[in-house]
Amino acid sequence: MSRGVLELTFDKFLFRFPAEFLYSDEGIWVNFEGGRARIGLSDFTQQRSGDVAFAIPKEVGTRMRPGEEVAVIETVKVNLSLLSPIAGTVVETNADLASAPELINQDPYGKGWLSVLEIEDVETARRSLKTADEYLALAKIQAEAEVLR
Amino acid sequence: MIRKVPVVPCSGIGKSLGAAAREAAFVLSEDLRPGDAKVVALGLLVLGDEDARREVAGGAAVAIDGCKLECAAKGLENAGAAEIRKVAVFDVVRKHRGLKPEGVCDLNQDGLALARAAAEEAARIVDEIVAEESRA
Amino acid sequence: MPEIPRKKIGLIACSGEELAEGTVTRRAVRRVLETLRPDDTVTLCLPLFLAGGEGERAFARHYPTIAVDGCAKQCAALATEKYSARPAAAIVVREIADETKQTAIGTARKLNEAGLRLSEAVAERIAAEADLLLKKKSRER
Repeated sequence: MSRGVLELTFDKFLFRFPAEFLYSDEGIWVNFEGGRARIGLSDFTQQRSGDVAFAIPKEVGTRMRPGEEVAVIETVKVNLSLLSPIAGTVVETNADLASAPELINQDPYGKGWLSVLEIEDVETARRSLKTADEYLALAKIQAEAEVLR
Repeated sequence: MIRKVPVVPCSGIGKSLGAAAREAAFVLSEDLRPGDAKVVALGLLVLGDEDARREVAGGAAVAIDGCKLECAAKGLENAGAAEIRKVAVFDVVRKHRGLKPEGVCDLNQDGLALARAAAEEAARIVDEIVAEESRA
Repeated sequence: MPEIPRKKIGLIACSGEELAEGTVTRRAVRRVLETLRPDDTVTLCLPLFLAGGEGERAFARHYPTIAVDGCAKQCAALATEKYSARPAAAIVVREIADETKQTAIGTARKLNEAGLRLSEAVAERIAAEADLLLKKKSRER
């Protein structure tokens, strides 16, 4: 049964986390679709990073190991090198982001997806990721730390 | 009396893009097109100030928005503007890759450069509007 | 037991571009947020508020706000009341300028030294109001 979307409110900010997705510590969401995984930026990470001006995923055919760069995001605030949390091969990238990178900000879990990877070992990949509850707890700590900085 | 084209910046206070939109409106109305453009405050417009609404009801207005939320354009629409032409500072960022604007009260050099570029785009739109209205 | 979020005060500035006092509201609010009361305040963005920003409006419904306006038209105070709830305090820069006799403060694009001093005075006033509101909140608990 779907648990829907978890929410974290911090001051005036509302962060959402689909309960069925898994997450890396760096704020990449992963949604397994059989032997494949669709990835993108979590709502928390996109809000922290600012308006996305350019999103450049690694091209189709690129083989990824955990910790290797899967995409580069340039916002008006920062340049982010996004690291793949899982091993796999890029089989699809979101062509809409070339002309509308703001989709990552507007719909991070839907139209703002980054890439689809063919996964080598789904169970190993799943075990390396956090559940939505676990990631929400981490996001809360990170949000509090940022306010105190 | 020749109408000045109303220009409405978003002036968002949370991001440097809002500050850049505000500065762009000043560059436009004070430096680039002082005879043809006039800044109108978004708050006055949305809350029903009669003078502000009269300015935008008379013809095309220019919205200068910092980001894709388009607060100034939406405000103009809600205020019953006759026609809205848009400048998106965010799109200007994409044309000038590498600019990293900072500051909300005091923009850094990149922010001022961004504001200038946005003002120049807005100036072209103001020129178009003035030409159309003089032909009408 | 559910965690009760820490109380903060929302600051909403008019940012009006037609008067120098509008620019004072921006500087004053940012000064409070960044330096004077960074742990106790958040800024609410008036344009986003007016355009329907759910985060801004929800915050103003549940937390105390201070509206900071340049002039007697009080766009920030009116908008806060219209779309969320009446602000707990309302400051008008022009009134402070008259009190302190700092009326030649530059332009909306660029404040002069008097305008910067006025911004500081307004920031101190906002911080004092925020302190009052937070003490009230502590006593209510």
